[in-house]
Amino acid sequence: MEEFEPNIIGFLCNWCSYAGADLAGTSRIQYPPNVKIIKVMCSGRVNPMYVVNALQQGADGVLIGGCHPGDCHYSRGNYLARRRIAVMKRLLEYIGIEPERVRMTWVSAAEGRKFAEVVEEITKDIKKIGPMKKIRRENIW
Amino acid sequence: MVDLKNLIEITKKIVSREDVRYVVGYKKGTYGFQIMPAFAYTPEDAEDFIYSPVCSKNLAVYTILEEKLPLKRGEEEDKRKIGVVVKGCDSRAIVQIIQEKGLKREDLVLIGIPCKGVIEPKKIEKMFPNQTDLIDVIENDNSEYIINIGGKTHKVPKNELLSDVCKSCEFPNPPLYDVLLGEEVEITEIEEFSKIDELDEKHTEDKWEYWKRHFERCIRCYACREACPLCYCKECMADTLNPQWIRRSVNLSENAAWNIMRAYHLAGRCVSCGECERVCPVNIPLMELNKKIERDVKKMFDYTSGLDEEEKPLFGMFKPDDPEDFIL
Repeated sequence: MEEFEPNIIGFLCNWCSYAGADLAGTSRIQYPPNVKIIKVMCSGRVNPMYVVNALQQGADGVLIGGCHPGDCHYSRGNYLARRRIAVMKRLLEYIGIEPERVRMTWVSAAEGRKFAEVVEEITKDIKKIGPMKKIRRENIW
Repeated sequence: MVDLKNLIEITKKIVSREDVRYVVGYKKGTYGFQIMPAFAYTPEDAEDFIYSPVCSKNLAVYTILEEKLPLKRGEEEDKRKIGVVVKGCDSRAIVQIIQEKGLKREDLVLIGIPCKGVIEPKKIEKMFPNQTDLIDVIENDNSEYIINIGGKTHKVPKNELLSDVCKSCEFPNPPLYDVLLGEEVEITEIEEFSKIDELDEKHTEDKWEYWKRHFERCIRCYACREACPLCYCKECMADTLNPQWIRRSVNLSENAAWNIMRAYHLAGRCVSCGECERVCPVNIPLMELNKKIERDVKKMFDYTSGLDEEEKPLFGMFKPDDPEDFIL
């Protein structure tokens, strides 16, 4: 049987995490290709419903990347995101969705290495718990 | 106990004020243990007003439900106030709406009632099913309800009929009011909303089994949304088509997404009035979700909703030292 390859959606902020992922690429750091990156202007832009909708539509995990606290381009977006995702994560956990599926990380533009490590860890975790079946939408057209 | 004469008198006084349009309160229903919301436009209308332990409906919802029709040329907006009869949780709901700038304090007259807890309609219906006559319920001083059915008097211990949310209510006295009827209730004992811990300790798969069973039954009538005093968005995210956050088909995936969304949008706003669970036609334990979030928010951010009009909304502010143990 083929090994399960998870689908991970990464919402990365334009100013730090996306640049960090870019750096990982330009410095030719190897990391799993499972993460599909969507650029958002700020981690505060990530509506927590994005997470639910991603899990419904085929993602096995969601990664949200923002600037380190205090470094946000819009000064407070990542702080707001931190609160929102913290509550959403706990709610999903309560409903019975594995907490490993929703992750958040701070990656600065200089941390290409850290980005690769984070992706590696998440991919490993999600491979362990298997594909997301619980709230998956059945009829995708 | 609330003095009915006093309630009617005060309502009459408020309605006859020039700057008040109407007062919302409770009146007798048509059968069984039902009550109805009553709108008093004139002092005579206020004669119907009642208050009893079966008055569980949250009237705060009527302050935001009112449809504002477009004005004709030369017509001026009716800026008179609205009066509401509020229990502890209703008052908190109004504080929360004022905090979010959904209402103005100047536009409201609040008749506060210190609440000793209300009867869960589903429980009393189960105990005395199929009642066709209107029945009075009175609470006595020994924590018992006195129910008169067809000449027979039943005495029922309060705990058997009390709503689950009322058992764990921390704020029975309205935090915001203009007139307070009766004396403030002392908080004696608060039961923990126990079901949360029970489920929280279970394995992930068992949790999902539990919620799957409930979400599968959801018929997406959105009664929970309509009854909630804090779901007052002009356009709900469940109704938008572009983007379509949740599809309209009724299946497990969409039902789960809707229930997650509903619970999440009440994070740091829910005032635990229990109205959503009360109106749910398929008995989904929605308050468990709300209470769980309420507890998390209290623990993580030390935030309680609906107590201070000046406070900022939970997700509109932050502290630099918010917990971030979940961040990689």
